[in-house]
Amino acid sequence: MEEIVKHLTPLLKEITGYIYPNEIELHWGLLIVIYPYLTGLVAGAFILASLVKVFNVKEVQPTYRISLLTALAFLIVAPLPLLAHLGHPERSFEIFLTPNTSSAMAMFGFVYAWYLMAVLLLEIWFDYRRDIILWAEKESGWKKWMHKITSLFSSDISERALRFDRKAAKIITIIGIPSAFLLHGYVGFIFGSVKANPWWSSVLMPIVFLFSAIVSGIALVLLIYMIVTPLRKKNIDMACLNKMATFLFLAMIVDFSLEALDFVHRIYESEESIKILTQLVSGKLFSSLIVVQLLIGMLIPLGAIAAVKIFKWPDELKRLTYFLSAILVQVGIFSTRWNVVIGGQLFSKSFSGLTVYKTTFLGLEGLLVSLGLLLLPFIILYILFYVLPPWEEARAA
Amino acid sequence: MACNLNKKSMFVVFARFIIERPMNFNPESFWNKIPEQVKRLAILIVILFALFVVVRTVLVPSDFGEHGHFRASAVEEIASQEIRYAGQEICLDCHDDVVETRRVGFHRDVACEVCHGPAAGHIDDPEEVVLEAPRERGYCPLCHEYLPSRPTGFPQIVSASHNPIKPCISCHDPHDPVPPETPKECAACHATIARTKAISHHVYVDCTRCHEAPEEHRAHPREFRPTKPAAREFCGGCHAKDAPGEKGIPRVDLETHEARYVCWQCHYPHLPEAR
Repeated sequence: MEEIVKHLTPLLKEITGYIYPNEIELHWGLLIVIYPYLTGLVAGAFILASLVKVFNVKEVQPTYRISLLTALAFLIVAPLPLLAHLGHPERSFEIFLTPNTSSAMAMFGFVYAWYLMAVLLLEIWFDYRRDIILWAEKESGWKKWMHKITSLFSSDISERALRFDRKAAKIITIIGIPSAFLLHGYVGFIFGSVKANPWWSSVLMPIVFLFSAIVSGIALVLLIYMIVTPLRKKNIDMACLNKMATFLFLAMIVDFSLEALDFVHRIYESEESIKILTQLVSGKLFSSLIVVQLLIGMLIPLGAIAAVKIFKWPDELKRLTYFLSAILVQVGIFSTRWNVVIGGQLFSKSFSGLTVYKTTFLGLEGLLVSLGLLLLPFIILYILFYVLPPWEEARAA
Repeated sequence: MACNLNKKSMFVVFARFIIERPMNFNPESFWNKIPEQVKRLAILIVILFALFVVVRTVLVPSDFGEHGHFRASAVEEIASQEIRYAGQEICLDCHDDVVETRRVGFHRDVACEVCHGPAAGHIDDPEEVVLEAPRERGYCPLCHEYLPSRPTGFPQIVSASHNPIKPCISCHDPHDPVPPETPKECAACHATIARTKAISHHVYVDCTRCHEAPEEHRAHPREFRPTKPAAREFCGGCHAKDAPGEKGIPRVDLETHEARYVCWQCHYPHLPEAR
């Protein structure tokens, strides 16, 4: 009891208006912000990869495998914030054993498993199979065995078999697009279907999530491509970069329009919650929503990329603009997730008061774990790049 | 005629497809036609699926899902747990005097075990298991400490300033908790209203200016209720255009200002500046 009082007293001083006792402390913290952010990156990176396979956008071919591996690295980490938040990760497999079809959250495990096993791993396997076999032939030691096991000891690299691989990868990508939409749309659905919360409850939520996911995923792969290529002492393919920036720009316009539509719709409907939401947006969320999400994360990068497209800038300036814009987009999309998850819990269901969120540094829900979870995908990606090099010159001749 | 023939020939082709193919089906050639990598993948998928089935068979309790999304035997397990609470009816058997006092007092809806704790052991062996009652100050404020979310009229105190070192039971009988003396201030019970009014422009307007409270309301608040103003003209006493009083009071023309509404449909009298 004393501990609770000690914990809540500093929060109580920051509360404004009237709120119910169980709303003082937020139940979903930083970890739940990270979870949609990570899944969004997965879906976005995969959509970028599908541009090559399904829509035949030749320019972005250099990023095809990078996108797939990025999606995999982030997908592996995506459920970890949930496990850290819920506790008892050793019990998590039980949601697969006894599926609860009436719970959207419980069924997410299957959406996740489908996307990981039936889409991403399969596509990577079919795409890499030939190279893995050829690499294994030339290698020795543990690397040879690892590649042999990864290829499931298959050895057929006849033209017929490779043709089948290409066909299979294409079909999986076609299935993968709605699956990626499902994966991240589902995350939006979980928030959008919370009837009691006017900040979340919106049918537009899944689709807004989806387009922000595409934006963040493209920006992430663009960043990784721009960082990794000079590190490998190679030249950045400007045609590829320009094309990615174009897709990023288009996705941002759709995302911006959808968010604006949602915003205007809320204001025009002016439901009973509008007053508290106005207070929220103009007060506690002002810096993270208006300044970071809208201005820094959306309008400035949009303007910058538009300027690149309109004026004939030299390549160096173009690269710098793309790079900075992609970083701003990442900050902006992280802020979007923050504003949805944290913002949705800052106001009372009585619609007459606001609470405050404070992050701790240590502990499972703290800042340190969160930073670790944001860093982990990059470590996994580094290992994946080592094991399955996505570069063009690494393709076995 | 041609159309009929076409239909007929299509039917024949289809029938052949259905009947002849399975008859000519050669498992060996079918297996050979499957690309090598798909076979390997299929084996992996079959292994994973079999593993899933085995794990599911082993780990999911056999009675799971009999009544719903839970183990049926969990109900029996929970039912077989030791019963710790006795329920308040049985207290009457021995403590009829206390139960009678409580029955007519304000704590009539607070069950005995809320304060005295689980009593099943005491019922089994009254001599050995003796129940205790909380005597320190911390317990009563769990319900009676001031909190804006508590309903108006519910007795609330700020324990830091309410006779700070005295235990609650030295003045209040928990079985019939009437205050030792009748509250002098409305704020003793109407804490939220008093605190709201304290920061409003109505801070200097006494409660009795708007509410007529019969003397009995203090001892029997629910049976004798205070009045509330019923007409627009009451507020007009200060806020009408021609009303006497200080200059700074906001005034309206009662005839033209939202004539179809009573004042407090829009203005909350305890905090009139709130929107």
